[in-house]
Amino acid sequence: MIDIWTIVRFLHVLGAIIWVGGQLTITVVVLPPVRRLLGLAERTEVLRTVGKRFALITAALFLPTQITTGVLLAWRNGVTWAALAEPGYGRVLAAKLILFTLVMAAATVHGIAQAKHRPAAARAASITALVGSLGVILLATGLVER
Amino acid sequence: MDETPRTDLAPPTAARPRGPLFVWANAVVLGWLAVAVVLSAAHQVLGLPGWVALHALLLGAVTNAILIWSEHFVVTLCRAPAPLARRVAAGLTALNLFVVTVLAGVTTNVSVMTGAGAAGICVIAAVHTVFLVRTYRKALQRRFGHLICFYASASVALLAGAVTGAALGTGAATPIWYSRLWGAHVHLTLLGWVGFAVLGTLFTLWPTTLGIRIADGTASLARRALPVLAVGLVLTVGGILAASRWLTLAGLVCYAAGVGVAMIPLVRALGTRRPRGPAAWMLAAAIGWLGVAVLIEGVRLLLAGSIDALPDVVGAVVPVFVLGFTVQVLVGALTQLLPVVLGRGPAEHKSLSASLARGWQVRILLTNLAVPLVAGDWPRPLPQIGWAFGALGVGTFAVLALRAAIPVALRGAATTVQAPDRPSPSSGTTTGIAAGLAVVVLAVALAATGTAEAPSTPVSGAAHTVEVTMSAMRLRPSTVDIPPGTRLVLRVTNQDSMPHDLRADSGQRTPRLRQGETALLDLGEIQGDHQAWCDVAGHRAAGMTMTIRTSPAAADTGRDHRAGHDPGTGAGLDLGATPSPGWTPHDARLAPPAGTLHRVELHVTEQDVEVAPGVRERRWTFGRTAPGPALHGRVGDRFEITLVNDATMGHGIDFHAGALAPDQPMRTIGPGERLVYRFTAHRAGAWLYHCSTMPMSQHIANGMYGAVVIDPPGLPAVDHEYLLVSSQLYLGGPDSDQHVAKIHTGRPDGWVFNGMAAQYDHAPLTARSGRRVRIWLVNAGPGDATAFHVVGAQFDTLYKEGTWLLRPGDPGGAQVLDLAPAQGGFVELSFPEPGHYPFVDHDMRHAENGAHGRFTVTEPPQ
Repeated sequence: MIDIWTIVRFLHVLGAIIWVGGQLTITVVVLPPVRRLLGLAERTEVLRTVGKRFALITAALFLPTQITTGVLLAWRNGVTWAALAEPGYGRVLAAKLILFTLVMAAATVHGIAQAKHRPAAARAASITALVGSLGVILLATGLVER
Repeated sequence: MDETPRTDLAPPTAARPRGPLFVWANAVVLGWLAVAVVLSAAHQVLGLPGWVALHALLLGAVTNAILIWSEHFVVTLCRAPAPLARRVAAGLTALNLFVVTVLAGVTTNVSVMTGAGAAGICVIAAVHTVFLVRTYRKALQRRFGHLICFYASASVALLAGAVTGAALGTGAATPIWYSRLWGAHVHLTLLGWVGFAVLGTLFTLWPTTLGIRIADGTASLARRALPVLAVGLVLTVGGILAASRWLTLAGLVCYAAGVGVAMIPLVRALGTRRPRGPAAWMLAAAIGWLGVAVLIEGVRLLLAGSIDALPDVVGAVVPVFVLGFTVQVLVGALTQLLPVVLGRGPAEHKSLSASLARGWQVRILLTNLAVPLVAGDWPRPLPQIGWAFGALGVGTFAVLALRAAIPVALRGAATTVQAPDRPSPSSGTTTGIAAGLAVVVLAVALAATGTAEAPSTPVSGAAHTVEVTMSAMRLRPSTVDIPPGTRLVLRVTNQDSMPHDLRADSGQRTPRLRQGETALLDLGEIQGDHQAWCDVAGHRAAGMTMTIRTSPAAADTGRDHRAGHDPGTGAGLDLGATPSPGWTPHDARLAPPAGTLHRVELHVTEQDVEVAPGVRERRWTFGRTAPGPALHGRVGDRFEITLVNDATMGHGIDFHAGALAPDQPMRTIGPGERLVYRFTAHRAGAWLYHCSTMPMSQHIANGMYGAVVIDPPGLPAVDHEYLLVSSQLYLGGPDSDQHVAKIHTGRPDGWVFNGMAAQYDHAPLTARSGRRVRIWLVNAGPGDATAFHVVGAQFDTLYKEGTWLLRPGDPGGAQVLDLAPAQGGFVELSFPEPGHYPFVDHDMRHAENGAHGRFTVTEPPQ
């Protein structure tokens, strides 16, 4: 049945798709040919533009959408602070939230390191964020009952 | 020693050392490694025991590698004459045939094949030992003599390991010896065969991977380490065989000391140069895990306080030995050695080394992250994630190495290994993956803590549950007879210190169960005959098998749904089984009457109730128990019972203790409805109450009955007063057609007092000798008569259906109180002396199928 909650869930999943899919696409699809085909100056320019755009979308659209829809969905499912500590659904959700926070922190570190021209740290942070995002998806999959 | 800083493992000539045979032998090692990885990931899907993957690795990859490389090192370093290539080829071919024979023998449970394969491996080990000893005599370069001593000791351990393995795999070991031989086998092969060979090789290989010379004094330390290691192994194995914990511990300490001595030159070498590159790091990590494994085993054995804990302890450290130590050493050594074998000249060596090193940081990370995950006692997905990491780390190497080795083996030339686009992997990648994986694993670990489900998952729907125990290498019952089409669920409990599992030929299996663990195995509807067995290697051969037979006869004999079991207990239910954890017996004591107005609220519920030891079934109940609560009063008392239907279908109630028009109080009420039933007890007796909804046979058989006891006037007090309600036991879901058909044709699965078969055998009633005991009885039926008797005692009082048939002081005595369905009464007796007095329904078919209990009679206090 399609109701308002379908829309909320749709927005939540859509946000996750765009963010994780975007990271994967950039890392796996965009970066290798960019590295191979472009000169150093152009490469830096392209990657910087892509990174800034991704950061903008993340901060302006993705984070507000995910947090709003996530809180709504949790409220709808009757999640309380106490329920987060309970084994099963609660703990999986808590682990997912913690992991999501860490991923966001890693993404922020990526942006800072990039700005300070420390490519190794930036790359480490971006890959941490990517692997962590996949972990978030794994835990989210575990939340869907049956 | 010449001036080159590197130790020559092979002369740097343009020609490849040792020719194509050597290349092929290494390709076989890699092949086994790949097979082991595939099997470890897919053995469940393929229906193979995990044992096969482990032995594909240890017996296939590792044993092949040790044989070929030990021979190579001895020949090269000791400047000994090489054996004929043909002989080496024949030996290796035979070894691999024997390994395949053993794997096939254990998988197909053909003991002859297992035995023949193991015997072949014994022969190979013996020949190898003889070769090494003879080489030692002929060696020109005695400086590396310690190497030969290590290898010879290792192959003696392999010989002993193969003998113990054969005893296990063929089922020749008796139950008592099985776990001891298993412990000995594990230690002989892992600490002896693999451990000695690896430690011996490291004295040479470690400096080589670091790119430095072998330090002076290495040989003398090696010569000192070997006896300590050997004594440690002998003590450990001897301690396990003699079931002596302290001897085993002493052995482990001694072995650890030997590893410590062997480490001295290796640690000193670190002072010269830090490890760089994959081989050095993998070898270092592997040795670390060897130490950790020996340490964990020793400490856990010390804390366990008993040698019985050994299988559990060893089971926990084997993954560390195998994945952390053995696999990592193999991969590390091959990373170092394969380029030498496959490449011609420095250029090819270099490019091969580069291709074998691809992604090594990530591979090391995955493998070493995997070790604690697979070895620890973590909740589910974590061990699986660990195995996936391990398979990924090792599998990637197998693929890389096979891609380099196969072309050389086939065409004799290495494919031009392309230098990677970017010579160094992008900086930060490994750190990023490591950090990402670490947080994900932590998060999944957090998510997986605790279990949301109840500890025992109830089986939904109608099913016949059979209690299966594992002890002394046997499955009890060994035969289960059921009518075709029965849905069979096995509740499997391991009582052995050895881990066991149960696997059916239809593919369902329990997880590996440790001592005291229980699992449910739902086999679904059984149509034909089936076999089930313990899938731990050798246990099936040793006799841990079970036959599930379907025969229409089982349905006709009146003893259908019955589990076959040991001769001796001779009945349909396993009355000697242990009741479920947390079980409490139905309290048979009858509380004295309180007041003259008895107000009771009786809720009708559907409830899982223990109906026979370890067998829980869904029942329809009054007040959550079957029988329902006992009501005790005196003549003239008023009873007001509020019946509340909390169940999902209509129910009613009928009190024989009251006399009234049934129309209203005995009507059926729907779910959620209430009715009040009022009556005055005008007459004394032991009265039945039961559900009044049709078909009553089904409602009574499903547990809807209880007793109202109205004392006759002037009834004297006694020392103990008990109430037993007898009934028939019908297993199976409450409303399945099959269940109803059994009730209608009167074919119960058992007969019970107070709702559970043999419950007072497990929780005997108590009495004191010489004191009076009164036992009230009500026969709830639904169909059979009962004949209550106490073995070894006589009744001096018999009250049946409202009158005394026998009173104290009468010259006669009574032996049985007989009751037709719905009749009641009581008997009184005093036990002549302390002891254990069984009480039975003297229809022996009833007694032997559950209507049986026990009085424990003690001296009265002085």
